[in-house]
Amino acid sequence: MKLFELGERTAQVHDVLVTLAELAERDDARAVLLESADDPALLKPYLNRLDLVVLRFPGFRDGRGFTQARELREYLRFSGEIRAEGHILPDQAAFLRRCGVDSVVLPKDGNGDPALWEKQLRQFPVAYQRSVLPERSVGPGLRVEEVS
Amino acid sequence: MSIPVGHYQYDPIDRDFLQARIAEFEGQVQRRLDGTLSEDEFKPLRLMNGLYLQLHAYMLRVAIPYGILDSRQLRKLGEIARRYDRDYGHFTTRQNIQFNWIRLEDTPAILRELAEVDMHAIQTSGNCIRNVTADEYAGAAADELVDPRVHAEILRQWSTLHPEFTFLPRKFKIAISGSPNDRVAARFHDIGILARPGADGAPVFRIFVGGGLGRTPIIGEELFDSVREEHLLATLEAILRVYNARGRRDNIYKARIKILVQAIGVEAYREAVEAELAQMDLERYRLTPEAVAAIRSRFAVPQLEAPADADAVLAQQRRDDPLFDRWVRSNTHVHRDPGHIIATVSLKPAGGIPGDATSAQIARLADLADAYSFGEIRITHLQNVVLGHVRKDRLRDLWLGLSEVGLAEANIGLIGDIVACPGLDYCALANARSIPIAQKLGARFADTALQAEIGALRINISGCINACGHHHAGHIGLLGVDKRGEEFFQLTVGGRAENGAAIGTILGAALPEDETVDAIARLVDCYLGRRESGETFLDTLTRLGHEPFREAAYETV
Amino acid sequence: MKRPVRLEPGQKLVLTANRLLDGRTVWWCADGTWNLHIGCAALLDADEAEALLSRASEQAQRDGVVGVYDTAVQAVVPPEPVTVREKIRAHGPTVHPEFAVETEQ
Ligand code: HEM
Ligand code: SF4
Repeated sequence: MKLFELGERTAQVHDVLVTLAELAERDDARAVLLESADDPALLKPYLNRLDLVVLRFPGFRDGRGFTQARELREYLRFSGEIRAEGHILPDQAAFLRRCGVDSVVLPKDGNGDPALWEKQLRQFPVAYQRSVLPERSVGPGLRVEEVS
Repeated sequence: MSIPVGHYQYDPIDRDFLQARIAEFEGQVQRRLDGTLSEDEFKPLRLMNGLYLQLHAYMLRVAIPYGILDSRQLRKLGEIARRYDRDYGHFTTRQNIQFNWIRLEDTPAILRELAEVDMHAIQTSGNCIRNVTADEYAGAAADELVDPRVHAEILRQWSTLHPEFTFLPRKFKIAISGSPNDRVAARFHDIGILARPGADGAPVFRIFVGGGLGRTPIIGEELFDSVREEHLLATLEAILRVYNARGRRDNIYKARIKILVQAIGVEAYREAVEAELAQMDLERYRLTPEAVAAIRSRFAVPQLEAPADADAVLAQQRRDDPLFDRWVRSNTHVHRDPGHIIATVSLKPAGGIPGDATSAQIARLADLADAYSFGEIRITHLQNVVLGHVRKDRLRDLWLGLSEVGLAEANIGLIGDIVACPGLDYCALANARSIPIAQKLGARFADTALQAEIGALRINISGCINACGHHHAGHIGLLGVDKRGEEFFQLTVGGRAENGAAIGTILGAALPEDETVDAIARLVDCYLGRRESGETFLDTLTRLGHEPFREAAYETV
Repeated sequence: MKRPVRLEPGQKLVLTANRLLDGRTVWWCADGTWNLHIGCAALLDADEAEALLSRASEQAQRDGVVGVYDTAVQAVVPPEPVTVREKIRAHGPTVHPEFAVETEQ
């Protein structure tokens, strides 16, 4: 498993990764795997002990993970690591990052080339809407760029 | 070049963004060619940039945000048609233009040419927020309360490469209008927005959700009556967040927001949206008056000056020339300025292909727009072209100029103003051809005097249940079906997209292609024979019910 | 995915796809190439078509085509597709006779 970091945060390795259903039983678990149908609000009681939430994308066209990530950051104020795994494309790198995802498990095929992910993160100089990242306006209107 | 009238003027930041999008797409094409991206992966990515694979070639759908172009942009579209396509383009009911003979290889070069005039194909397809449409008379119509274009532009920007909403369960279409007379079919959109002035001068928005056509036609329901401007983006984010999380992904025919709204009910949807809003940091999503003002300042306002006798000159010309008078009657609309008038150019010549324009016609329209309407052109959701601000005393000169290139058809809103999707002549999903039947109907009712006599009557034709030709919303609708390899058409009557939106009722079993035109002629005869004075087709239909029309359609001679 | 093939007397199958680079409709010929003209298409029996179809699909990337499938034709010269859709793919849009594939240079 090769990890790619979308931002500053260093990706962590966890031996114990449990499902949402297992979380209540496993006091030792610091990492949880969310399926795309899972409601992140159910993590509320466990947020303090969680270091890592892994969002599984069953296919890259299933965009529920983007909303899950934003809910974790915006509503639940989760400050640990969020990771995406499954069928994801480098073309989604900036979207993932802007929704609050810190790292990805690189796909095993040609889409796992870290250079493609790197390039995509730097593809666009501005964005036209706010994200979960710290941002400042660029020129008048809606445009923002990330504060580095 | 001076700021264009009618649409947002790009600055270098916006232009850099477009270049980045083109570079991204070029990389995606490269990865497709070298096999890194499979066709299944590439398809959604190319669709998000407006590139379809149809029956004979790729089709590129170019965005015309809120349907407005300047003459420079229109000329560029004509050049692209000439250089990269087969010398014509097709204007769509979503106010975009499609080119039917595009090569994948050429696409990055075409996108670069489009970017020279601040145009693109971003989000004209795919399961994302599509090109936002707006009232084709925006900023010109006498009946308008709020000019919707500034907010349409805000929505265009906000939805562009939205990080959270680019992989939705299904496509998502938003329309906005600021007139009490709905000209955008607001209630047939995923989100329909009607703007009106608020107490403090800023507009407030009435928001409908869950409308749509396709195989399950549904009229949108009101979600909120009065959303304040500052909360417009937050509200839309919340609506989309609920849809992205809960919309069905197991069946593409049940994936639109309309199905979710029907499944849980509009009250539950509203509660879910309110629950999102309660958790959101509203300050972060606030649409500030400064941001609105900044975007508004990029729109030029036309300086409407007309001689005092403009109206009188036009009146005299109409008296002198009955042909011109007939065109004025069907093809113009009242402007907010008494010295000006809104002119609609019909792209529905009798026997022609609805919505198609040759590159020569496109170039000529650009010239006429420069000469008569501040260089501004609008594409309508009925596949026509509007010149929004024509001085009344110069209208006849415009009409003469249009006549020279076969664009002076006097049939707007009449039976010849047929809406048709590309159908089986181009479309990979079609069951039947839409264009030939439109051509036959156009030829059958070619006489403009007859059309005027018949009065307001809209025919809409779709080649399959996806309903791109809005057949459900046609006063008479035709839906192409495939019966063991033969083309048949199902007839509906009584649909409408305007105020009082309604879905057409199916008259009966589908008819073979070669009987359909006669059946429609009998429907029209039935109406002409039984109408009372002043009645439109819809009025007579409402008074008499469907039965006489059903009998007329199926009567065999 | 695979629908049962029911061929009427006098019918055969041909393989068709679109070219990746320009999207144009192409037909599979006996020499293994893809051609714009249906006149070149190899006429296949149902069982032969099945094997060739899966081979052509596997090779699609290398051959620069997408969406390979089979369709029934009347076995005349040139072969005439059975469905309206495939007729239009073979000959071009009916509303633009000047674009007919067979008369193109
Ligand atoms: C030729 C290529 C085209 C393809 C492959 C295509 C495909 C589709 C599909 C699959 C749907 C149904 C989506 C759904 O209900 O979930 C649809 C709906 C629609 N399309 Fe197209 N379309 C094409 C061309 C056009 C054109 C030329 C127009 C405009 C004239 C258009 C406008 C629309 C509209 C307005 C709808 C209805 C939206 C709704 O259901 O609310 N499309 N199209
Ligand atoms: S209605 Fe059907 S046939 Fe017509 S363009 Fe849409 S998908 Fe194609």
